[in-house]
Amino acid sequence: MKLIAKALMATVTAAWLVGAATAKAEEVKLYNDKGFWAAQMQAVGDASEKKTGVKITPSPYSSPEQYKAFIQSSLTSGAAPDMFSWWTGQTFNDLVGSGQIAPLDDVWSKLVSSGQYDPSSADLFKVDGHIYAVPMLLARWVVLYDKDMFKEAGIAEPKTWDDLMQDAAKLKAAGHTPFEATVQEGWRGFIWFQEMMLRSNPKAFKGLFDGSVAYDSDAVKNAFKIWGDLYAKGYMSDPRSNEEAKDFASGKAAMYLIGEWAQGIVEKAGMPADKIGAFIMPNIDAAAPSAVIVEGAPIVVSNDGKKKPAVMTALNFWASVDGANAWAAASGNYMGNLKANAPNANVSYITAAMTANKTQSYLRWWEAVPADLQGEMVALLNGFELDPSDKNAADIMGKMQALNAKYWATHK
Amino acid sequence: MSRRRETDAQLLARIGLDAVARRERARQNHNRLVALAFMAPALVLVIGVLLVPVGYNLYLSVMNWRKFKGFDQFAGAGNYFDMGSSPYFFDALANTAIWVAASLAFPIAIGLALALLFRGARFEDAFKNIVFLPRILAPTAVAVLWIYVYAPHGVVNRILQMVLGHDVDIGWLYQQSTITASIIVTFVWQTVGLVMVLLLLGLNALPKDPIEAARIDGASPFQSFRHIVLPLLAPTLLMVSILCVLAGFTVFDLLWVMGAGYPGLRTLSLAIFMYFEAFQKGGWSFGSAVAVVIGLIVLSVTWLQAWLQHRIDQNLK
Repeated sequence: MKLIAKALMATVTAAWLVGAATAKAEEVKLYNDKGFWAAQMQAVGDASEKKTGVKITPSPYSSPEQYKAFIQSSLTSGAAPDMFSWWTGQTFNDLVGSGQIAPLDDVWSKLVSSGQYDPSSADLFKVDGHIYAVPMLLARWVVLYDKDMFKEAGIAEPKTWDDLMQDAAKLKAAGHTPFEATVQEGWRGFIWFQEMMLRSNPKAFKGLFDGSVAYDSDAVKNAFKIWGDLYAKGYMSDPRSNEEAKDFASGKAAMYLIGEWAQGIVEKAGMPADKIGAFIMPNIDAAAPSAVIVEGAPIVVSNDGKKKPAVMTALNFWASVDGANAWAAASGNYMGNLKANAPNANVSYITAAMTANKTQSYLRWWEAVPADLQGEMVALLNGFELDPSDKNAADIMGKMQALNAKYWATHK
Repeated sequence: MSRRRETDAQLLARIGLDAVARRERARQNHNRLVALAFMAPALVLVIGVLLVPVGYNLYLSVMNWRKFKGFDQFAGAGNYFDMGSSPYFFDALANTAIWVAASLAFPIAIGLALALLFRGARFEDAFKNIVFLPRILAPTAVAVLWIYVYAPHGVVNRILQMVLGHDVDIGWLYQQSTITASIIVTFVWQTVGLVMVLLLLGLNALPKDPIEAARIDGASPFQSFRHIVLPLLAPTLLMVSILCVLAGFTVFDLLWVMGAGYPGLRTLSLAIFMYFEAFQKGGWSFGSAVAVVIGLIVLSVTWLQAWLQHRIDQNLK
């Protein structure tokens, strides 16, 4: 009896240990700094568990600074997390340069050959010819607009810059503020700057990121002039607001220049989806090719993570049609998967417009500018929003160029 | 050996008293070890949580942090020279000095005035509770609340509008001329309750005889306050001033939340400047150097206060 009891206990213990070990092996943590999407990521994680048996569990940090510190110290100690999000641009190159992130050319080869992604979608995640991430999201920066206000003012979606200015004048005449813009949270200053640069001189826009174009060059002066004119005409909302999305949803402005991901936030703020339209801002220089600013948040895996089947299963699910559908349904975000459902009608519309116009994608200023310059420069751009005078513009351009020149003197 | 040439030790050895001395020394060593054993947990805490991080921070401040690669390059005083050439460092230093002066002067002046006003007044406890209430709120919550108070269409502008009779559209948290003063008002609003309570305790602990004697001798209330109460209250005032100065140096939450939309946020204080450099730009070595500078300034001020405390204690004796 004693022997039977002992054998039974041993069997139960072994089964429990195997069960526990098995349960742990089928859960993959996705480290990120997007705590506001924790519930939405969990929805994708649950969908992954149902489909593949591997659960993706988001592990969010409350601030980008805290998150960066965690990732930097992890990589420095050689213990990179298996799967985590990062940013594109210069800082992505630095991450890849650590040598601890696995290339994902094989993953992309399957994604492209199956028709799920256009090869150009991987451009944001390419370093030295190899691809190192899959997208967490791919957001085009568009103009969301209030369809009711447009109808009231008797205007349609603008096709040219002149159309846009005429629409703005009519909205103003009808008692509406045409454009929404704030300094909320201290990072939004670059939004209108990047758009004015891209629409007026796309070549100069790109030149800002490798130091070949100065921040006080004629191209930048022109962009500031056009931007300042919008303020002079009274087309911009009061920048001193902490509730940008809510302001737009409550009708404080007719148009909102922002990433597509904001539509979900605007809907939550009370604006029905069918009242929200979207278009890509027309070029100021009509001769410039069709262009749109794109923001792509990458998910990377470490070299150790790539060796683990569960991690690769989780990554492949995230990028798959099922993963993209789950993410779109939960968060309203688009990932670039051509076979997945668009999160909303505007995303489909923009995709169709980009295809029809052969629209080129340009990386967002925030990621393209060297990380060391980001914070100080965006603070200066915020300063222009608060005081859009010519004098302040000249001062700001001078300061931006001083920072730019100092950086490139030691980094070229 | 002649007795005149004997050393004390030899004498003790001859008559046996060295054994007593040895026993005494052993007893003292034992007592020291027991004391060390009792102090050990506190020592481990102080060394582990305070001295080791401070020492490591000093080490980081003279190294070069390379992202994802670590601190394997010696930078010497490079980070400190970079600080000196940063356009934001001296602005942050000046604003920190303003904060320290304001956090010393206003809470103590207003707190003392309220303490004298409420002391012995009717409904003293109710008034004390109302004034103390902001102290129990989290600084972040206070900051969010006051953002709306200072908003362009917020309470402050509306009151000014009513008083002045015309539109008032001041961006209190968005311009250099008003942002520091605005956040100082919020800080004083939140801090004055604690200062008032501490000073009330100090006032209630004062001996009544000298004040009574001064009154009998014909001293006016102001004379009594100036020549009797204030000197006797000096130790409490000094303790409160140390707390206020430290609070002024370390203020972060209010600045971070209320100054989020202000372009010059990184210059509002040395603590904010350090945060930006260390965590937003990823310059951990430079941030460590800024932390060393903050530490040296705070140490200097607290040494000065400790010296003043010592002088006051001596004068009172």
